[in-house]
Amino acid sequence: MPFRLPLYCALLVAWLPGLASTNSASADDLTFERDIRPIFRAHCFDCHGATDKVEGGLDLRLVHFQTTGGDSGAAIIAGQPDESLLLHRVASGEMPPGKEKVSAEELATLRQWIAQGAQTARPEPEEIPPGLGITPEERDWWSFQPIERPETPTVHEPSQVRTPIDAFVLAKLQQNNLTFSPEADRRTLIRRAYFDLLGLPPTTEQIEAFAGDPDPQAWEKLIDTLLESPHYGERWGRHWLDVAGYADSEGMTQDDRVRPDAYKYRDYVIRSFNADKPFDEFITEQLAGDELVPQPHANLTPEQIEKLIATGFLRMAADGTAGGVDQEMARNQVMGDTLKIVTTSLLGMTVGCAECHDHRYDPIPQKDYFAIRAVFEPALDWKAWKNPVQRRVSLYTDEDRAKAAEIEAEAAVVVQEKNAKQTVYMAEALEKELEKHPEELREQLRTASQTIAGERTPEQNQLLAERPSVNITPGVLYQYNQAAADDLKQFDKRIAEIRAKKPPEEFVRALSEPPGHLPETKLFHRGDYRQPQATIPPGDLQVASPEDQSAQIPVNNPELPTSGRRLAYAKHLTSGKHPLVARVLVNRFWMHHFGQGFVGTPGDFGRLGQLPTHPKLLNWLAAEFMENGWSLKQFHRQVMTSTVYRQSSRRRPEQDAIDSDNQLLARMPVRRLEGEILRDHVLAVTGTLQREILGPPIPVAQDDTGQVTVENNTPRRSIYIQQRRSQPVSLLTTFDAPIMETNCEKRTSSTVAGQALLLMNNTFITQQSQHLANRVFEVAASTEAPELPADLLARLARPRPDWSYGYGNFDEEAQRVEQFTPFETFDTETARWQGGSTLPSDETGWAMLMAHGGHTGQNPGFAVIRRWTATHAGNVSLSGTLQHGSEPGDGVRGRIVSSRQGVLGEWVAHNSQLETNVETFAVLPDETIDLVTDCRENVNADSFQWKVSLTHATETGSRTYDSAAEFAGPQDSLPPLANTIVPAWRLAFGRIPEPEEIQLAARFLATQLMLLQTAQDAEGKAFPPAARQRQALTNLCQQLLASNEFLYVD
Amino acid sequence: MNQQQPNRRDFLRHNAMGFGGLALASLLQDDLRANPAKPLERPASFDMKPKPTAFAPQAKAMISLFMHGGPSHVDLTDPKPELQRLDGTDYTGDVHYSFVNRASKRLLGSPWKFTKCGESGMELSELLPYTQKIADDICLIRSMQTGHNGHEVSIRYFHGGIPAVLGRPTLGAWLTYALGSETQNLPAYMVLVDPGGHPVDGVNNWTNGFMPPLFQGTVLRAQEPRILNLDPPPHLKGKLQAHNLDLLRTLNENHLEKHPGEADLEARIASYELAARMQIEATDALDISGETAATKTMYGLDEPETREYGTRCLIARRLIERGVRFVQLFLANQPWDNHSNLRGGLSAIAKRTDRPAAALVTDLKQRGLLDSTIVHWGGEIGRLPVSEGEGDACGRDHNGQGFSVWLAGGGIKPGFIYGETDEVGHKAVVDVVTPNDYQATLFHQFGLHHEEVRYLHNGQEQQITAGRPARVVHDILT
Repeated sequence: MPFRLPLYCALLVAWLPGLASTNSASADDLTFERDIRPIFRAHCFDCHGATDKVEGGLDLRLVHFQTTGGDSGAAIIAGQPDESLLLHRVASGEMPPGKEKVSAEELATLRQWIAQGAQTARPEPEEIPPGLGITPEERDWWSFQPIERPETPTVHEPSQVRTPIDAFVLAKLQQNNLTFSPEADRRTLIRRAYFDLLGLPPTTEQIEAFAGDPDPQAWEKLIDTLLESPHYGERWGRHWLDVAGYADSEGMTQDDRVRPDAYKYRDYVIRSFNADKPFDEFITEQLAGDELVPQPHANLTPEQIEKLIATGFLRMAADGTAGGVDQEMARNQVMGDTLKIVTTSLLGMTVGCAECHDHRYDPIPQKDYFAIRAVFEPALDWKAWKNPVQRRVSLYTDEDRAKAAEIEAEAAVVVQEKNAKQTVYMAEALEKELEKHPEELREQLRTASQTIAGERTPEQNQLLAERPSVNITPGVLYQYNQAAADDLKQFDKRIAEIRAKKPPEEFVRALSEPPGHLPETKLFHRGDYRQPQATIPPGDLQVASPEDQSAQIPVNNPELPTSGRRLAYAKHLTSGKHPLVARVLVNRFWMHHFGQGFVGTPGDFGRLGQLPTHPKLLNWLAAEFMENGWSLKQFHRQVMTSTVYRQSSRRRPEQDAIDSDNQLLARMPVRRLEGEILRDHVLAVTGTLQREILGPPIPVAQDDTGQVTVENNTPRRSIYIQQRRSQPVSLLTTFDAPIMETNCEKRTSSTVAGQALLLMNNTFITQQSQHLANRVFEVAASTEAPELPADLLARLARPRPDWSYGYGNFDEEAQRVEQFTPFETFDTETARWQGGSTLPSDETGWAMLMAHGGHTGQNPGFAVIRRWTATHAGNVSLSGTLQHGSEPGDGVRGRIVSSRQGVLGEWVAHNSQLETNVETFAVLPDETIDLVTDCRENVNADSFQWKVSLTHATETGSRTYDSAAEFAGPQDSLPPLANTIVPAWRLAFGRIPEPEEIQLAARFLATQLMLLQTAQDAEGKAFPPAARQRQALTNLCQQLLASNEFLYVD
Repeated sequence: MNQQQPNRRDFLRHNAMGFGGLALASLLQDDLRANPAKPLERPASFDMKPKPTAFAPQAKAMISLFMHGGPSHVDLTDPKPELQRLDGTDYTGDVHYSFVNRASKRLLGSPWKFTKCGESGMELSELLPYTQKIADDICLIRSMQTGHNGHEVSIRYFHGGIPAVLGRPTLGAWLTYALGSETQNLPAYMVLVDPGGHPVDGVNNWTNGFMPPLFQGTVLRAQEPRILNLDPPPHLKGKLQAHNLDLLRTLNENHLEKHPGEADLEARIASYELAARMQIEATDALDISGETAATKTMYGLDEPETREYGTRCLIARRLIERGVRFVQLFLANQPWDNHSNLRGGLSAIAKRTDRPAAALVTDLKQRGLLDSTIVHWGGEIGRLPVSEGEGDACGRDHNGQGFSVWLAGGGIKPGFIYGETDEVGHKAVVDVVTPNDYQATLFHQFGLHHEEVRYLHNGQEQQITAGRPARVVHDILT
């Protein structure tokens, strides 16, 4: 094992599942500090050392305490394990009480240590202060060691090493007889880079340009281009918002109040990432931005506003203090959650576990928890709390305020004018009204009416109650004098117009420490705020600094109006010497690139967390990161240009056998898109994505099926969707977007049937599939059909309409329609197909067809023909009514004629109405059934009505065609479906389909057309031909959007 | 029983039936390699097909009514005359408190009466009038012990086998991994959550841990529609959607061929197939309108307090009837965590759950399903015999040292009481049962050896009990 753990760590982790363990063959004698104390810490100290009062008088913290022993005498006798009471008690299972027992290995260690003379690593003091303290052995834990740049290892096949990162990874692979996977092809690489850096797909054109770029620096150029994209900040900002616990609502209470200004922090994060703001600065602004802005926070410059917005980081915790029943508890909870956000995001330790007692596993005394709390207490003081409304900082400048006052004064003039006029109007109206009342009452009534409502005497009220019409108020003035009311309204409008000129007042949701406020932070016994104890000065985790150089966070910085604690703390964290901050950050960045970090528990670098898979590389990257000015973009360049990052994702059996979880990084992982990115991907390929960045959140609402959806389906990127804790968007959470309780240190990626159902049935996806189909049709209009078998091409040809309209001649001898000439003119006003632009036309006379019937042509050679064409083989039957409604003339003749079988029926109607039914007969594809109507001998009065219902039963089902209901003018002409396949693949997947895929899609579309023939649309109606084409393609598009190729990135 | 290492013939058959085409390719590669690497010990793919048991099982399915928070056994299931006698006096033994600041040593007798019930004479509290009626059908274990007072610590112990440790598969995941499912039309492992929200520890309660996501519990929403997006839009219903899904499967299989061995891709293919079948089967399973009025009344659907939980118990039965392996019901947050206002709080949650839980047992029995279905009722811890806080508003603190759960059906002895706590109900002292024992016993009833159902994770063979001491409690078996 190249990374050597201190022996004691190895022993400890041995009983923790899932952690690597080592079997140290050290021949050294066991020592208390290294080998025994961790066992006692986990099992015994709770009762025998951690607190002032020890059970049975036995304190196990020092060996000489143990030999002295407690109420029952000596706990151990050095060199005599069999005589040692402690060993007996533990071996018998009597101690520790409870289910969790000391393991057999631990017991053996104890025995061996006593047998070897119960040695200590160094002389013990006589006495020690209360508490467990921190031993040198505990300080040995890997994540507390200073970050030092390790030597780059040498490897066997240096040709695979592009960057030092590769050397570290390859060295480890080679130790395990593995090598890198081959490099992924360029199409895979560009897609990987786009999703990784932008969370959006490349277009086909971008893919092809990159695939064909002969420049050896093409990859580096691509990465630089992507890092300049404004969408980069949306993608990587979102990662930070996860750990910051970003939400647009307060949570905690039922009403889950909205935080109207929280989005400004989100935008700050996006802007900061886009600007590659050095992370030390980014952290400092978020922890102490307000301390960087002069007090009072007025007349702020844009830079100062930005720093105040940054402190929104410390305002992200769920907050029930707006209306909580128990304010003290609610406030302390906000403080606790805020500390959790700060410590998990920056320190990567479960510091919160030390709120109630010394941490059971990590060397974090309870005192440390409160020292960190003391850093924040002057700004987040539970005894001088600002509720969510009070904490808003107005961005009004003095100038704004003066301008607003000026405008208000201007408005006041008009208000006065209006009031004067109103008084006059009211008085006039009253006088007029009084005339309707007895003269003797008028004076009384006038006084009563003009007295303010609350000040009237009971007599006056009584009087007005009897004569309500005298009680004229401004609100009812219109009932007495409409013109006066209208006039007053004009004033209101003017006033509103004037006030609208005021500069809009904006707020930010900031943490702004009041000047000169230095509350004392108390350690709470058992974490209970009702039991305050000693005062704790501000500080950091003790183990995060060398023993003799603990972090200096002054109680007060006299040079600042505020305490300066957070600023000092931020400087300490970003000093470059903190062992945790840079490691935690680069581990998380790596996790976003590779799906897993070196440390699998990004929020816990302690003993219950996982050990780093590549500790040296983690150190190297952390050191590099700081040396490169904390530049994340530089980090991306280093990582993405490495061989590690450029590997193929394909699994290899020899790797799977050793490392199926890919901890050694012998390939790239295949990763499913996060919920937000999946939605963004869909919007991008359907062409609906609105790409503008930043701004207020898009509201969400619950629909009638209980799903929370985006208002108006606004197609902006998912990061801009309002994040209400109580109303997470179903589409996103179904794909594992976090529901913010506090913050999210690591996302999960589940695969459940609910996701499948969503992609099959959800309105979002069916609508987006339609958008994609429309887009595909547009492109297909200028696309050639791909190579396909002729029969398949024919089935996908532009569909014939079900019904066509024309005229022609019935050949009596052949008993067939001799020729069919489609009408060229459709008169939209009258909704009829006709022989020319005006009727009668020169050639065809009055020949025309409309929904319910028509008019025959001028002789039997110009019969009008309504033609139905069979798309598929099947059985057809018809029923209908032919009607002729006038006495003059000789009526009309109707024939039903099959192109294959000749006349199926013939009827003559003359001022009469006839059933025109045809029994079931078989049809073949493309067979036409014509409804032929001619004028017989006499061309007069040959208007007719003929409605026919035709039922076509095929192998997929049966459908009835209604000649009247389906009558239609010229149809949209969509490109043939065969031409849509290549564009569909290009738009959805950014690539050309393989020949087999083209065949697959073609067969799918052809079958869809057949199925749709007998299906019903969303309104329960049959699909007309163009709609069948459209729906078939929509269904194809939906399957592409739901496919694994779309959902995963290689 | 390890998840069986498929032999080559199985592989081929498997390929013919669907996903995992690349397993074949990798197999051929293996044959061609001169020095084949260590063979892959993990199956190339996972499925929900029924798997053989090690011996004849007593139970085929399980419904777990998980009672988050720690039901107060001394007020519900474990009467303690000595506690009543010493009510108000100080306890002389050691107590391990969670909330030291409010702790007292004053013993608090139960404010509720206990009655001997049924032929077994099992004593149960008046808070559980309906459970009293099924006393002869259940086996009451009064000696549960986790040894830990914390909620999450003990919850994870019950679900995952090790106290406090996250990231392990839950009992439902283990059972479905070992046994597959009797139905391929519904998820094998289903979770019915409370309208009030998730229980403490959230989704960890039904996680697949280090197993593939196929073994994760599928959550049924607490409100209609219980499964979102279950119904296809009208114009896709039937043949069209079936045809769509055919294409999708082909696209995904082609994609999988380029990504051999990616379990998640296979799982997603399976998830579409499951989803399609669920559309039919789940719609039917969730529709309780066809149940008789008598059944609905039995579950308490006629009363506002019991309607919601009763409906979920009834749905649980309908799921089991259709072959679902493991159903678990959860309550929002942890309603049994009665630190204060024991009198009001405990009565309310007992009222909400007692009748539906008893109805479930009775109903399963009437239908002949109880023989093959285990019903579990219980929380992760119990509560202390001493009072927490003062006066009428007092409650009880956590107690991981001794508490009760009950089991019914599936070859568990009916009308039987097992184990004892000490005279005041603090610690289990006779026939102590740990969550690992509980898991081992359940596995036994399903025809499995708990130590032999193994899952290979990063080179280590994992078991539900994680190699910790665990015994099958034979005394409670018929």
